[in-house]
Amino acid sequence: MEELKKNIVNKITGHFADAAVKAYDGNRVDFTVKKETIPAILFYLKDEMGYNHLSHISCVDWIEEKEFELIFILWSYTDHIKVFVHTRIDRENPVMDNIDMIWRQANTYEREIKEMYGIHFEGLEAPEEFLLEDWQDMPPMRRDFDTEAYARKTFWDRREARADAQDVRETITKRTGEELPDVAKKYTR
Amino acid sequence: MREKATTLYLGPQHPGITGNMMVRLKVEGDTVVKAVTEVGYLHRAFEKLAEQRNWLQTFTLMCRFCVPEPDPVEESYARAVETLEGREVPERAKYIRVLVLELARLGSYMLWYGGQAGSLGLYTIGQWSVGDRNYILDLFEELTGGRVYHMYIWPGGVRRDLPAGFEEKVLKTMDYMEQRLKDYEDLMFDNAIFRKRTQGVGIIEPEKAIEHGVVGPPLRGCGIKHDVRIDEPYEVYDKLDFEVPTEDGCDIWARANVRRREMHQSIRIIRQVIDQMPKGEFYNKIPNPQKWRLPQGDAYERTEAIRGEVGMYVASDGTEKPRRVHFRGAAYVHAVTLLEHVLVGENIADVSAIMNSLGTCPPEIER
Repeated sequence: MEELKKNIVNKITGHFADAAVKAYDGNRVDFTVKKETIPAILFYLKDEMGYNHLSHISCVDWIEEKEFELIFILWSYTDHIKVFVHTRIDRENPVMDNIDMIWRQANTYEREIKEMYGIHFEGLEAPEEFLLEDWQDMPPMRRDFDTEAYARKTFWDRREARADAQDVRETITKRTGEELPDVAKKYTR
Repeated sequence: MREKATTLYLGPQHPGITGNMMVRLKVEGDTVVKAVTEVGYLHRAFEKLAEQRNWLQTFTLMCRFCVPEPDPVEESYARAVETLEGREVPERAKYIRVLVLELARLGSYMLWYGGQAGSLGLYTIGQWSVGDRNYILDLFEELTGGRVYHMYIWPGGVRRDLPAGFEEKVLKTMDYMEQRLKDYEDLMFDNAIFRKRTQGVGIIEPEKAIEHGVVGPPLRGCGIKHDVRIDEPYEVYDKLDFEVPTEDGCDIWARANVRRREMHQSIRIIRQVIDQMPKGEFYNKIPNPQKWRLPQGDAYERTEAIRGEVGMYVASDGTEKPRRVHFRGAAYVHAVTLLEHVLVGENIADVSAIMNSLGTCPPEIER
């Protein structure tokens, strides 16, 4: 295992000068690269190193640092090692290279990340909406999206959300004008 | 005269569809020429909610990601948090987790039997298997208090120990299941209709399978032997003796056979787990959840569910709340790009059978 990990670290750092390595115990290796290197390093890992299973693509919003982090998690069926490829992109102008020609299923992840974080993948072939419908607001998975304000704005005609200290019986009495039965009065606050 | 293509909307309300989703088909005659998966009927924003809750409150959301088989999701989350924190899990808890996971696998395969047979018009099997699944749900009810959502496998171990006499009940249920499985198999796999409708239908070429990220029984139905339980053994799977069945057909028949054989392996695992289970602690207590801070960093852990590999990515910024919790479902890959690829050239009547054989599960696509 350690041999294999050393081998992959040597090969990647030899080929990609900007790849920063972070070591972990067990079967995990992490690389952090510039966003321009992403398609090249993924192609290399898949075609040359046998990391042919794309397990996951995730996105994290580091709003304090004004950056989005994209994480590509690959798995090798022969080496049994997990490789994480991290990259950071500017939050103000989030543009990224599309990688769905390497793995077809990356298309689904990119469509979701595009909607949820507003990251533009150049050349992504998926014009249609994926999860959201007619969404005009800020991409909802961004940290500065205020869920409560959105709910108040969108569902303004619904009754107030259930506050923790609210008594259901009192609310019903107020709404219907009915008198509470004596049995129930005993339990109201 | 050339036939004109028609658009056919399969779902979201359709008895053959596997949940709240839609497949927009372009058909010429009976043949599908284009398929597009449309989702968006079920989004519950669990991942957004998780960012506003602490690590323990997030755990209660995790099982809701997938309705038929919630335990592998809990397991992935619990293990990801443990990896991030470096928390040890007692040996007994590991065995109990495997027991729960395999019972869940068996229960979900029962539900799959119903779906797969029902999609081809064989309704009796579904009525039998969903009825028998209740015996497994009874076990879950006794163990965890819940029948469908268990909220049982949590960071640090499991929530409570096995009740008195539980092992005997499990073994008794397993004996019953083993005998019942024969009935299902006679009814389904000896049935000429089932054989004719599934052989050569919904083919995934082995070289396309890896490229499309296929996992689980559909991958093993292509003759490729990959299973997270043996590739990256978690809990105590490396101490247990079981086989990972594969078939070469690449069609629905092959996938159904993989699942049929896996059910027997699950029973075998459950018996071994009961036999080998050590005594001792079942929970490594976490600190006060309101003040429970996880170190900065991220982790990704995978578990084998009936649909294939499910994973959980968690990222922490060092506070009491997760920065990001991101679930990877097998159906996320199977039901969108792969399904759109496989359905082309198939018959309309086979669409729902193919969806069932790929383990389509919309709650996993939109969390």
